[in-house]
Amino acid sequence: MPLLLASTGNADAATAPYLVLCLPLLATVVILLFTRNRPGASATLSIGAILTSFIICLNLFSDYKNEPLTGHTTWLAIGQFDLTLGYTLDRLSLLMLLIVTGVGGLIHIFSWGYMRGDKAVPRYFAGLSLFTFSMLGIVLANNLVMLFIFWELVGVSSYLLIGHWFQRPAAGDAAKKAFITNRIGDFGFLLGILIVWDQTGSLNFETLKAGGTVTTLGGLLIFCGAVGKSAQFPLHVWLPDAMEGPTPVSALIHAATMVAAGVYMLCRLYFIFTPEALVVISWIGGLTALIAALMAVQQDDIKRILAYSTLSQLGYMVMAVGLGGPTTAMYHLTTHAFFKALLFLGAGSVILAAHHEQNIWKMGGLRHRMHATFWTFLVGTLALCGIPPLSGFFSKDAVLAQAFVGNKILFAIAALVAALTAFYMFRLLIVAFLGMARTNHARNAEESPEVMTFPLVVLAFLSAGAGFIGIDTFISGQFENTGTISNEAQTNGMIAGLLAAIIGIGLAWRLYRGVDKDPLPEILGSPARWMRQRFYIDGLYAALNRHSQEAVATVTDCLDRWVIAGLGVKGSAGITFVTGSLLRLLQTGNLQTYALLLLLGVLTLLYFVLT
Amino acid sequence: MSPLTLIFLIPLLTAIVLLFVPARMERAVRGMTQAATGISLLLALGVFTQFQPGQGYQFVEQHDWMPSLGIGYHVGVNGINIGLILMGALVAFAAACSTREIIQRVKEYHILLLLMTGGILGAFVSLDIFMMYFLHELALVPTFIMIGVWGHGEDKNFAAFKITLYLSAGALLALAGLILLYTQIGANSFDLLVLLDHASEHNPGLNIPMQNTIFGLLLFGLGILVSLWPFHTWAPLGYSAAPTAAAMMHAGVIKKFGLYVLLTVALPLLPDGATGWAWVLALLALGNLLWCGLVALKQKDFTLLLGNSSVAHMGFVFLGIASLNLIGITGAVLVMIAHGLLAGLAFGLAGWIRQHTGSTEMEKLGGLLQTMPFVGGALLMALMAGCGLPGFANFAGEIAVFFGVWQSDFKIIAVVAAWAALVIGAVYMLRAARNLLHGPLPAIELGGEDARCCARLPFVLLLIALLLFGLCPHLLTNKITPAAKTLLPPANRAVQSAHNQ
Repeated sequence: MPLLLASTGNADAATAPYLVLCLPLLATVVILLFTRNRPGASATLSIGAILTSFIICLNLFSDYKNEPLTGHTTWLAIGQFDLTLGYTLDRLSLLMLLIVTGVGGLIHIFSWGYMRGDKAVPRYFAGLSLFTFSMLGIVLANNLVMLFIFWELVGVSSYLLIGHWFQRPAAGDAAKKAFITNRIGDFGFLLGILIVWDQTGSLNFETLKAGGTVTTLGGLLIFCGAVGKSAQFPLHVWLPDAMEGPTPVSALIHAATMVAAGVYMLCRLYFIFTPEALVVISWIGGLTALIAALMAVQQDDIKRILAYSTLSQLGYMVMAVGLGGPTTAMYHLTTHAFFKALLFLGAGSVILAAHHEQNIWKMGGLRHRMHATFWTFLVGTLALCGIPPLSGFFSKDAVLAQAFVGNKILFAIAALVAALTAFYMFRLLIVAFLGMARTNHARNAEESPEVMTFPLVVLAFLSAGAGFIGIDTFISGQFENTGTISNEAQTNGMIAGLLAAIIGIGLAWRLYRGVDKDPLPEILGSPARWMRQRFYIDGLYAALNRHSQEAVATVTDCLDRWVIAGLGVKGSAGITFVTGSLLRLLQTGNLQTYALLLLLGVLTLLYFVLT
Repeated sequence: MSPLTLIFLIPLLTAIVLLFVPARMERAVRGMTQAATGISLLLALGVFTQFQPGQGYQFVEQHDWMPSLGIGYHVGVNGINIGLILMGALVAFAAACSTREIIQRVKEYHILLLLMTGGILGAFVSLDIFMMYFLHELALVPTFIMIGVWGHGEDKNFAAFKITLYLSAGALLALAGLILLYTQIGANSFDLLVLLDHASEHNPGLNIPMQNTIFGLLLFGLGILVSLWPFHTWAPLGYSAAPTAAAMMHAGVIKKFGLYVLLTVALPLLPDGATGWAWVLALLALGNLLWCGLVALKQKDFTLLLGNSSVAHMGFVFLGIASLNLIGITGAVLVMIAHGLLAGLAFGLAGWIRQHTGSTEMEKLGGLLQTMPFVGGALLMALMAGCGLPGFANFAGEIAVFFGVWQSDFKIIAVVAAWAALVIGAVYMLRAARNLLHGPLPAIELGGEDARCCARLPFVLLLIALLLFGLCPHLLTNKITPAAKTLLPPANRAVQSAHNQ
């Protein structure tokens, strides 16, 4: 590793991005080929690769001179049709690179503590590095096909990691569901790419930017990709199930980075969307934020609560893009990456201490047993709820202000979501950490080792202080043509956000302080059941699939078996049979018939020869 | 002597030598088969690396044989068949390494396998249409015998009967088309290059109705050989009943012959016929992709699923050909090569699973990643390649086909094909992964031994090739593109650029 570090110090700026990209891939390959039976070496390789990438990214960041760096190499060329692998290094990709390698690096370190004792640590780290590689590819991509390639690759790494404990049927099912749901989004994405190419003759982001917007349909089809990857309504169903994967995976892929890729893509391609397309995008985002927050209120699994919260926050970001604020979206994406990774890792620490118990009603009193985890989790919660001066306060209020300017109904929804967020997060915090322990596992829980608490502390500092390090001004340099938000709107957003958070926390405090059973179902009645059952959307989809594609497949299969195969073979067999019977008529065994036929034949021949 | 001659003669000569080896010397039989196919593979690899892209036919060797009929010995490679030959030789070697399941009449089995290999590789190197056709028939006949004698399952006789019937009918129809082509062009030659020269000198050549007739005969004749919808039902049944090596060779290599002839003979000699039939071809290709994809969803036996998915993947090739533009045709050739490698890998692994667990029924199996990590891992990669994951060669071909089709008039068909490829393909492949590889071990102990050291070689080689051509498809496209340009109707040779820098 020292050797690598020395060589990266003066790496050529043009090749550095490739180095950042390929180090994790190299780690995957080496682990799969050589260290499959050595957990320690595998972890070192994987962690070393991502940290080295992080250092190179820091280097690139400090060398950045406001001039986008680009580079490309041919992947597939057919005449003039040249698909390349290349990179664009600008403010947007630099910020995202730092998030992926920085937060990702901390999660890698945490994983080493969390997964210790697992039977398949090398496979786990190989998957993690493969994911990092794919995610960095998305961030660096400079054209649509390359984006699509890495888009699919993060999908498969997510599939592999969700299914890490593949022996459990639920994990296998969840992995499959995630992949297929994403593929539905990618179907739209691919068509969008084809339409954009058809209209503009280009796939490269720079050329596309010069060309301006494409048709609304093209933009919305591209957006389909983001709907799948960022789990927006109606393709949100895979994300909660994806919690079957190991908790650090949930933190890395299903909270901080991969699910944010959809938002990143929308920001990257912001210039192609027509105003009509942006309206649709903002409403999809707002709707997702609301229904996910409602679902979160009635979940009991600590990871699922956080998963729905992630959905809801991603909805915020998508809505912000739709309302014309890619800067705001990226700002919230960054702070969210910090505090949501923190919350998931905190949950992982709790789960490990509670012997893989995930139901918050079987915890309680963890505050006294796990000091570092509790205090860092509290910081994350407060940041998510938007309490000043933590980072979430600034970014969430920016989203609210954006909504105030753009659309008052969405503003109301966003404020409601802020209240709900504060409510379900404090429900989680109060039930799991405060009060008395409800089970023996919780009573005897022990704080996690330092390899796990160290990332928690670093992320807690980032979650707390990220509002002051100028992320928003840095990223606003990327989007020069988007309007600024007036002071009035900002004040309104701030007041609304703060008020909502206080109401949410207050309600949660009243309802959940010192109770052992959720009082909400009795108060609300059937709406609480709908929330718990995720508004029956998953069941609806299963039924829809059963009655559409599966039904069609059954009919097709029968037709294939009985009609096409039947007619084809039985038909030709029938013809053979009939021909055979006819020929048998000729083969009478009667010498005189043969003589007669012979004579007829000779006469025919003679006729042809003579004429 | 051109290395191309050796590539196909060595397996054929080895088959003859094997006739004189005593049947009880099974190790020698296996060893000689592997050595012969291995040498072919090395030669093919040498030719592939020595090949100069864009320089026309290379490694040419030509002798007179029956000048009165215009039949001669003429071999050579250009950008289209170079990849197919490498793929064919690789799959043949892998097939020769996958014959452990055969315990009876080992010698005969290997002789047939060598005939198959020599025949199909010979068909791909030939530039004489007569020789091409004859050598393909030589490769085809062993398939029938292998299924009939060494096949699996209760339906093996029916499967052998069905595949024989269909493929003979297809070959006959194609033969009629080729003879008609020969007589109509009137160059008194079966030599492909002579025919092409003749056609370019005698512009406008054949009239449109005649072109349509011949192209129709070739399309359906060759189409049946490639399991074009709705003439596909022989394929899943046949592959599921076939012994492993036969399934690998037929699904992977021999089936590509029909496509190869369609591309290199029918397209350049019958440009108007191709334009006339493009719509029909595109629609039937959709039949392959959508219909067979849906059928694959409902399969309970893994080999039947693979068979149907293999038929579905042929839809990409047909669609690429139907687009009649450079991107689509190049993509089609890429898919042919990628699918050959993938079919070899997938049927090889399925054969391993059948041999070691005694079943390929997905409900009986489960948790294979625990009992056989290597085979399971390789199978997972094969399934991922099958649903078009980037990084594997299949994706490169498929994405090129999509761009090609989008450039043609078949946008609606491309939309449905994209659904079939991205969603339906993912559903049945991942369902197979979930049922076979994931989940707990099945209640009934099936046993199952993982592949070790040498047994891994064929799978590793096929995976390396799939990954190599997936990561650098440029290695193939720089060879295919210049050759593909010459196959197109002159009006279609321009290409839309990607302005990608």
